[in-house]
Amino acid sequence: MATSAYWRTRLQRYRLMGNKCSTCNKIFFPPRLVCPYCGSVKLSESKLPERGRLVDYTVVYSAPECYETVIPYVVGLVELENGVKIVAPITDVDVNEVEEGMEVELTIRRLPEQLEGGMICYTYKFRPVIK
Amino acid sequence: MVSVGYTRVSEHWEKSIKGLFVEAALKALENADLSVRSLDGMYVANVFAGYLQGQTNLANVLADSLGVYDKFAISIDAGGASGALAIHEAYKDVAHGVRDVVMVCGVEKMSETSPQEVVSALTSVADQEYLRYTGITVHSLAALIYKTYLRRFNKKQEDVALMSVVDHEHAITCSHAQYPFKLSVEAIMSSAILADPIRALEVISPSDGSAAIIMCPHEKAKELGLSHVKLVTSQIARDKFNLMERDDLLSMKALIEAAQRAYNSTGITPSDLSFVELYDDYSVMGVIALEKLGLCGPGEGVELLKNGEVKLSGSIPVNTFGGLKARGAPLGAVGVYQAVEAYLQLTGNAGPNQVKNARIGLTQTSCGFNSIVVINLFEACC
Repeated sequence: MATSAYWRTRLQRYRLMGNKCSTCNKIFFPPRLVCPYCGSVKLSESKLPERGRLVDYTVVYSAPECYETVIPYVVGLVELENGVKIVAPITDVDVNEVEEGMEVELTIRRLPEQLEGGMICYTYKFRPVIK
Repeated sequence: MVSVGYTRVSEHWEKSIKGLFVEAALKALENADLSVRSLDGMYVANVFAGYLQGQTNLANVLADSLGVYDKFAISIDAGGASGALAIHEAYKDVAHGVRDVVMVCGVEKMSETSPQEVVSALTSVADQEYLRYTGITVHSLAALIYKTYLRRFNKKQEDVALMSVVDHEHAITCSHAQYPFKLSVEAIMSSAILADPIRALEVISPSDGSAAIIMCPHEKAKELGLSHVKLVTSQIARDKFNLMERDDLLSMKALIEAAQRAYNSTGITPSDLSFVELYDDYSVMGVIALEKLGLCGPGEGVELLKNGEVKLSGSIPVNTFGGLKARGAPLGAVGVYQAVEAYLQLTGNAGPNQVKNARIGLTQTSCGFNSIVVINLFEACC
């Protein structure tokens, strides 16, 4: 991926920015140019809640290039406080201690993979809420 | 469908993507006693040549390698559904009288690469702007579907994994299968975990292979005096690509819709089917397909596997040459291999894998957890 292509996704990666459709009021992630539910193009940016619940998860052992250095890692299905569901990496939890129903919150983390020219890249992840 | 040609699915170290394609294409022509010159053109189905071989513009390059310069050649890339989608296009051409003799060839070469590159390639079928640079793999998405299925229907993984056991049982006597040997549930359950709970031996592995079919109008087939099989209907349905935007991880709307349209438009019902070739890139996707195709009720796919109904001698034989798991899954060619197998069954040329009195066969080919589904229904002609 080119650095500029990565840069274009910065709002979704760093701020969890999705869209809200002005016609059908649905909120979705990742952002789009056309509403997947009603076809409307009247969309506004909508920052997703930073907290949610881990609905389900899997532990990844077979990874793509670069990610083999960080296996095993957890990928989860997170239902955010407004009901929007996203699939995201789960961090700061031992693979044996991750649990369905866990409360989780957004964090931004560095990835093992680098962009062309050694540029560091980051993504949204979720971590357990410490009470 | 008047002729078929195919290579064994394997790791073909000695053959390039061109070599595989030419071998399958020439066999299909030879089996019909047709020359290259008699083709009006071809569709080439492939997914990874651009990614793994760095070869884009594939149909143009491959048609040239077959000595076909002056006829149309169109590449089709729709992930795992590519092969069946190419057949759909050829079907429209032939049925509408646009073209007379059309070849469909699926080809894929996935073995010349590291396991990590293969995971990257398989994940490249997903939306890159979203999933790239997150570490989320297709296996992890499949794992979420798998866990949802087990939980909702209170099933054991050992039972779902029977899908792969059945595939392997049917592949033992299949000369074009990549893995022609028996596989036990115990072996599956002790194989490596890819994304919990998915085990390595209930998932497709990298394959090389090429399959070709030749299609023409019914009258032309009779004129040529070729034994042939009728493509009764070819239905395509699509669904949301992002699993999170679907109502439910197990809804598989496109699979239901394509199947219903195929049944309704022909009057054929699931009980009329002599056999089914379904798309089981993961064992659980095969089990879900059994249910959504109407072969059994929701949550009953496992029972169908357990009671042996899906065996060659059962009431509804499934994946009669080994399916994606054991025949192998050269991704863009899968739909064409399934059509080849339908042809072999319906012309009585399936050898030890022959289903008795085979009259009607269904092939289901999918991409991205049924975001595209192609259902082709084939019927014996005689």
